[in-house]
Parts: sequence; structure tokens; C-alpha cells
Amino acid sequence: MQKRRKLNDILLFAGTLLLAIVFFFPILFNIMSAFKSNAEIMKDAIAFPKGLYLDSFKYLLMETEYPRAILNSLILTAISILFMILLIPMAGYAIERHNKRWTRAVFIFFLAGMMIPFQAYMIPLFKELKMLGLYGNLAGPVMIYISGSVGFGSLLYTSFLKGIPREIEESAEIDGCSKYGIFWRIVFPLLGPCTATLVVLNGLGIWNDFLMPMLVLPSGQTKTMIVEIFYYVGEFSSRWDMIFAGTTMSIIPILIVFLSLQKYFVKGIASGAIKG
Amino acid sequence: MAMPLANKKKKKKWQTYAVLFILPSFLLYTLFVIVPTVSSMYLSLTSWDGVSSDIRFIGLSNFVEIWNSERVHNALKNTLLMAVVLVLLENIVAMALAIFVDQVRWFRNLFRSVFYFPVLLSGIVMGFVWTIILNYNFGVLNQLLDVVGLGELKADWLGNPDFALLSIILSTVWKSAGYYMIIYLAGLQSIPQDLSEAASIDGANRWQQFRHITFPLLAGAMTVCIVLSMISALKIFDQIAVMTDGGPGFETETLTYIIYKVGFGELRQGFGTALAQVLFVLIMIVTVIQVKFLRKREVQL
Repeated sequence: MQKRRKLNDILLFAGTLLLAIVFFFPILFNIMSAFKSNAEIMKDAIAFPKGLYLDSFKYLLMETEYPRAILNSLILTAISILFMILLIPMAGYAIERHNKRWTRAVFIFFLAGMMIPFQAYMIPLFKELKMLGLYGNLAGPVMIYISGSVGFGSLLYTSFLKGIPREIEESAEIDGCSKYGIFWRIVFPLLGPCTATLVVLNGLGIWNDFLMPMLVLPSGQTKTMIVEIFYYVGEFSSRWDMIFAGTTMSIIPILIVFLSLQKYFVKGIASGAIKG
Repeated sequence: MAMPLANKKKKKKWQTYAVLFILPSFLLYTLFVIVPTVSSMYLSLTSWDGVSSDIRFIGLSNFVEIWNSERVHNALKNTLLMAVVLVLLENIVAMALAIFVDQVRWFRNLFRSVFYFPVLLSGIVMGFVWTIILNYNFGVLNQLLDVVGLGELKADWLGNPDFALLSIILSTVWKSAGYYMIIYLAGLQSIPQDLSEAASIDGANRWQQFRHITFPLLAGAMTVCIVLSMISALKIFDQIAVMTDGGPGFETETLTYIIYKVGFGELRQGFGTALAQVLFVLIMIVTVIQVKFLRKREVQL
């Protein structure tokens, strides 16, 4: 019995390891290829790089607009997230604590947005941005990202707030603290885990987003990293080394953030999915 | 008399704060989600090209064209096929991964991270990597087939219409299974150990334990996973954009891809928004049906 148990464990481990190799291979292949010259990739795609070939990185960083695109992606992600944190928790708080007929209506109105796919309204949205003069301007996507996460965000915050007792807020109010102060000084810090989830999930979504930035920030100074990579696939269709260097540079920050904030990723999905 | 007055004043104060707290989100959401959604309903009845100021009302002609167009039918067929196959494969793979990770004795967290990591990457990036892996001349897959002596199985995985859709589906399964795995794992970990122990004392083998205990108790996680995977399958876009661009011909176009192509490639935005309405309705129907049906088979402990 003991022996069989052990054998079982080893078999299970071997199976899992095999699956893990299959799952990890494309990522490894990407990172490996970034350090190979084009000729090396074409000759033997699977082989390990012979040395550290860094020319494609150098070229991308010195000769193209890629650094600019990296910066754009960073700015876009950071500013969108910042405004989301400033606006959405407040709305969630008012909806949950000021439980009136009109706030409940607003809540349902917000939730309805979770059902509307972006593609369903992207064409008129594109037209609207042009009318407002926000086409080709980073401010446009920032507002679109905030609006797009109002539904999920208010759901997340209201359900989390239900678990926080009101007594602290009430005593602060008796002490003469304003609603504004109560929210930012007392309630907001308690919402930490919720905010972390929002930041991690939305930050990743914005960093990786393609369709919307391609439509509204297509050319010149405001292209994002992913859009730039997409254009490289067409432009440098035979210079794979270059594209691999680009994709590797987009993967590395995600890897770092993931390794340092792992528990929020996992928790975020589990809580978001089961609630939603 | 003083008390109600103070109360009223407090209420009033609350009211203004609530309004101020909600207003910014409300305005943005209305302006950038609701307004375009509502105006898309009108635009779908026009022949607008997206550029000129001439927005001509043409009634239901766009929808008649959708009804008759071969190309749209193909896209719709691909969308539905992909949705069904993706939901099945993603959930089977995700559940298997979850069980492996849950049962394995060593390096559990490492394995979980490895399976989950592809979820974090952009569809464009991963689409590109798979394009190279599946490349006919220099790709890893064909090279591997040569090495193991199965050279005759080599194919142009993305250029051949028979395989292109399949290639997109499989690379999408690889990319998203980890997400659903996390949800199944949470489900597995909430199943009390004593149930399987009791069953194994009663002589149930591993398969019977899975079939009669684990599987029914995962129904809650499964509802969530099926709904989420179906919705994201209906919206798949990035992989197609980079792997096949809807080709060869119009072979691998889906509903979302055709909306983009028609609206921004062929400048027929009226027609594009009409297609978008179809997508919208499709997603609504699927969500409502799934939540209704699947809730029924959930087992409560």
C-alpha cells in the first residue's frame, strides 16, 4: 500500500511536469529567440542560443520608436489605474452605504455595462472620440478604461463593503469628521485587498490591450507597446529576432509584477469570479 | 421638533455627498459606454461610412444583408464553433490541470504559476509566438515532427483552411486554461477531505470518487467557468488579428473580427454596427440561458 502510494505520487508528478513543460515551452521559446540572431532562429528554432545576441534589443531601443511606446504603455496604465482608484471606490461606497432607491437604480445601471461587449459600441465610440477631439490623445483611452471598469469595480467594492461594520464610520461622524474625510481616512485603507485586485486585474488588461488603443491611438507619438509589436509583425515580417526582442520586453515587466504580487492575482480571480 | 430637523439636515448632507461620490463615475460611464451603445442602435440602421458627415437612414437593409451574406454566415459559424469547442476544451484542460495541481506532492505553487502565466500575456504577443511555432518552413512544430520521424504529418498550420481555425483554438486553450484552473482549484479546495475519505473507506476507486463526489461539487465553479469562457470565446480577437488576419480568404473570420474588418478596413461602419448588435444579442442570450440552466445542476453542500 505504502509503495503503491509512492509510485502514484511519482507518476502524478511526472505527468504534471510534462504538462508544465508543454505550457512553459512557448514562453521559453520566446525569451530564448530574443537572444538569437535571425539566421540562428531560421536554422534551428529549438536550439538554445549560442551566445547572448543583444543586437535586436539595441536596435529596437536606439533606432525605433519602441522606447516611446513603452513609455506610452506605462503612462496609460498608470494614469488609468490612478483615476480608477480615485473614482470607483467612492461610487461603490456611496452606493452601498447610502442605500436608497436611486442608488440601487444607479447600481443596476452600472452592472448592465458588464454585459455590453466592447465591440458592440466601439464604432460609435470611435466617432464620439473624434467629435470630442480626443482621437490620438492618451486622455481618450484613459476615460474609456475608467468607464469600462465602473461595472465590475462597483460590484467588487459594494460586496466587499458589506463585510465592513459601520460603527467606525459612525463614531468618526460623531467626532465631526466629514463624509469625505471618513471615506479617504477610514474606509479607503480598509478596502486595500479590493483595491489591489482592481489594480492587478485592470493594470494587466490595460497593459495588454490591443484593439482599443490600435483604433484610437494608431500612429505617431501615442502608439502603445502592444500596438507597436503588432505593426512590427507586419513590417519586419522576416526579422523575427526583432519582434521576439520586442515581445520579451513586454513579458519581463509582467513576470516581475506577477512574481511580486502573486497572491493578489490568484485571490482576485477567485473572488471576482465567484462573486460575479 | 429639534431632533427630526437635525436628522433631516444629516440626511440632506448624505444626499449631496452620495451624489458627489457617484457623479464622476456616472458621467464617464454614461458618456463612454451608454451613449455609444445607444447610438450604435441608430447607426446600425444607416449606411454610414465612418468618415463623411452624410449618415443616411436605410432602415433594416443592413440586417437583410447580414441575413443573406455568405461571409457573415461563415463568420457566425466560426464564432459558434469556436465558442463550443473552446468552452469544452478549456474546461476539460482547466479541470485536469486543477486536479493535477491539487494532488501533486511537490512544487505545487510552481506548477500553478507555470500553468497560470500564459493568462497574463497579451493575445498579440502569444499569437505571434504561436505563429512562429506553427510556421511551415522554420516552425518548431514541423521541425519536431521531422525529428521524431513523423515528417508526413507536417502541414501549413495557419495557411491551410483545414487547420487554421484549429490552430487558433488550440493556442487559445493554451493561453486561457490557467485562468479557469484557478477557479476550479478554489472549488476543489473547498470540498471537505472527509467526503473522499469516507468514499474510499466504502471502497470507491479514484474514478468513482471523482465522478460522484468531486465533479458534482465542482458545479458552482463550472457554472462560472463555462459562462466566462463562452463570453470570452465569443469575443476572441487578438489571436486572429496576428495569426491569420481572418484568412486564408475569409476562412477564419469571427463575428468580432468581421465587425472590425468591415468597420475600419472597408469603411462600412453602418454595417459594422449592425453586426455588433448581433454580437451583443448573442452574448446576452448565451449569458441568460447559461446562468438559468447551469444554476439548476449545482449541488449545495
